Amino acid sequence: MTLVLGALAVGAIYAIVAIGYNIVFISSKTFNFAQAQLMMVGAFVAYSGLVSWNLPWVVVLLIAGAIVAVVAGLEERIAVRPVRDPHNILVTTLGVSILLDGAAQLIWGTQPLTVPFVAGDRAINVLGGRAYPVELALIGLACLLVALIVLFTRRTKYGMALLAIAEDREAAQLRGINVRALAFAAFVASGLLAGFVGLFVGPATFAVSTLGASLALKGFVALAIGGFGSFPGALVGGIVVGLVEVGAARYLGGDFVHLMIFALLLLVLMLRPAGLFARAKERMV
Amino acid sequence: MRRNIPLVAAAASLALVLAACGSDSGGGTNEGSDEPFRVVALGGIGAQGVLADNAATSVLSIQAGAAYVNANGGILGREVVVEVIDDKADPTVAVTKLREYMAQHKPDLVVNSGPSTVANATLPILNEEGILSFNIGPTADSANPSKLPLNFDLSAGPRDYLRGFVTYLKSENITSVGILHGSSAYGETFGATFAEGLPKEGITVTAKEVYDVAALDMTPQIEAVRATNPQALILDAYGAPLGYILRNIDKIGWDVPIVANNSVAATGIISTPEPDGLLGTPFVKNVVMEVYKSTKYDPNATAVNEAVARMKAIGEIKATLILAYNYDALLLVKAAAEKVGTTDAAALAKALEDPAVQEAANTVIISRYGFTATDHSPNVSGEEFTFVRPSPIKDGQYS
Repeated sequence: MTLVLGALAVGAIYAIVAIGYNIVFISSKTFNFAQAQLMMVGAFVAYSGLVSWNLPWVVVLLIAGAIVAVVAGLEERIAVRPVRDPHNILVTTLGVSILLDGAAQLIWGTQPLTVPFVAGDRAINVLGGRAYPVELALIGLACLLVALIVLFTRRTKYGMALLAIAEDREAAQLRGINVRALAFAAFVASGLLAGFVGLFVGPATFAVSTLGASLALKGFVALAIGGFGSFPGALVGGIVVGLVEVGAARYLGGDFVHLMIFALLLLVLMLRPAGLFARAKERMV
Repeated sequence: MRRNIPLVAAAASLALVLAACGSDSGGGTNEGSDEPFRVVALGGIGAQGVLADNAATSVLSIQAGAAYVNANGGILGREVVVEVIDDKADPTVAVTKLREYMAQHKPDLVVNSGPSTVANATLPILNEEGILSFNIGPTADSANPSKLPLNFDLSAGPRDYLRGFVTYLKSENITSVGILHGSSAYGETFGATFAEGLPKEGITVTAKEVYDVAALDMTPQIEAVRATNPQALILDAYGAPLGYILRNIDKIGWDVPIVANNSVAATGIISTPEPDGLLGTPFVKNVVMEVYKSTKYDPNATAVNEAVARMKAIGEIKATLILAYNYDALLLVKAAAEKVGTTDAAALAKALEDPAVQEAANTVIISRYGFTATDHSPNVSGEEFTFVRPSPIKDGQYS
């Protein structure tokens, strides 16, 4: 059970990265390759707030959310909006990710930093296994985020507008939806999310300038398995990647981890090219 | 006289040509001249992660070594000048910048600060150009004189570390161990060397598990090792993965002695008190780490303490002295040059294989290198190492 809980926690982290990718994807049909780095910045801000400034947890949550939202907003204005070809956005957001890695290294240094968790750092017994409170919190947080986002997209005007943009950008514009403003808002929201979750991810992963690079690829695989644009898919994709990673490491050996993850990805893409939860669309050729 | 003008002009031209040829021949043939002894220090100062601090310490050590040698008459009277090139730990950048520098000046010596990818890219070029080099990022060929006769590896390799481990494990009556190592090139070599070498010394290896250095949870591998019930865990880890492993071991409640390598000792969280690091937490209570004796503070180690003082006078020592091998580089070159009376690269390389030169160098970070004509790795003895418990690091040394 300890292994399963660990796998679910790691999977939850990948799922949260994938959720961030999805928020931007449905609004602008592109990937923000700096999403994992935004989460890294959130973890660093959490470290500064909790350890260096000794601020209350709730205050740090708000500060981290605000700072990373501003960074994400700046990214949209500087590296996304001026770019006409959506394909080039892949390159510009990748550039932002490198920039954030370097900035984090300059500000917080190169060594991993411990981010304390509000519920403590002692392992507890759960369902016959052992887990840290932060691991349980990550699992709960990923599920909660997906539930809230699904509710938001189905029950609110702005959520439905986002879905409309994802469905057909031009048609949404013709219906009077401010596509540009919503794309910007989606970037800011993804930053806000990355800032908030920094307080949960940091205690599990440490705040370290290589964190973004570690999370980006697995988050993308989780997204591809679950289906681009699907939030429940991101959650399932992340959990599946976590379980395969831990299972392969325990029963096949560490050398087989990547092999099994990418074998699974290939299998999913061959059987369901759009991912497990995304609908394949017909298109005129 | 007028008839002699063409003859004089021809003689003058010939002299100029010969002079030009002379100044450009072979690495380090300016002995006795006023030319400085040019040292290029490659280091990934602008690299990511812990590599940057390691590179900064490595560069600092060669600068301090130069200060020491210059204060003691230079190398055959030539002042040592160190040119630092920030290669960002990127082989492409390293090769480009090195070639740019070599277009202006031919260095007498090149030292690098790792990683081995940079060494892989630059060492063949240096060898082709006839330039002496010291390397701290070992590659498959870097210590092989038949491939790279002018290069010497300063950093101890897994075979050297193994000697220290065997001494320690035997002293603790540990007869069975499990090995957990990273998937990096060094980690793989470490794991393979220990899995092969320990049984030859009568120590059973119950399990050998590898983890992905980008993974976030190593519990599966730790569980796999624990299932074989070893008396101790031999650990290779570096950076954030070390933190994950220590937490994972604590999480599953495995109370086992952890005998860790120098990569663990070089990771900041192990020596940083909580809340920033893990020092003082239960996670590190079972850990001992292999380090060079010079990496542990000893008030009686005069030469080491002087080296530290020289480094501090130049800049902050950001990593442990494990990365300060380059301090020894110029001490070795000075002793070799004094033996052969020249700074010619080939002659220096030959002299560096001489045990008398290695002894005369009075090196500091490692007290005795063991280069031979067939092996340019340092061949460090087990006596060079000690095992320390995690403690705060001051000026690159454990207290």
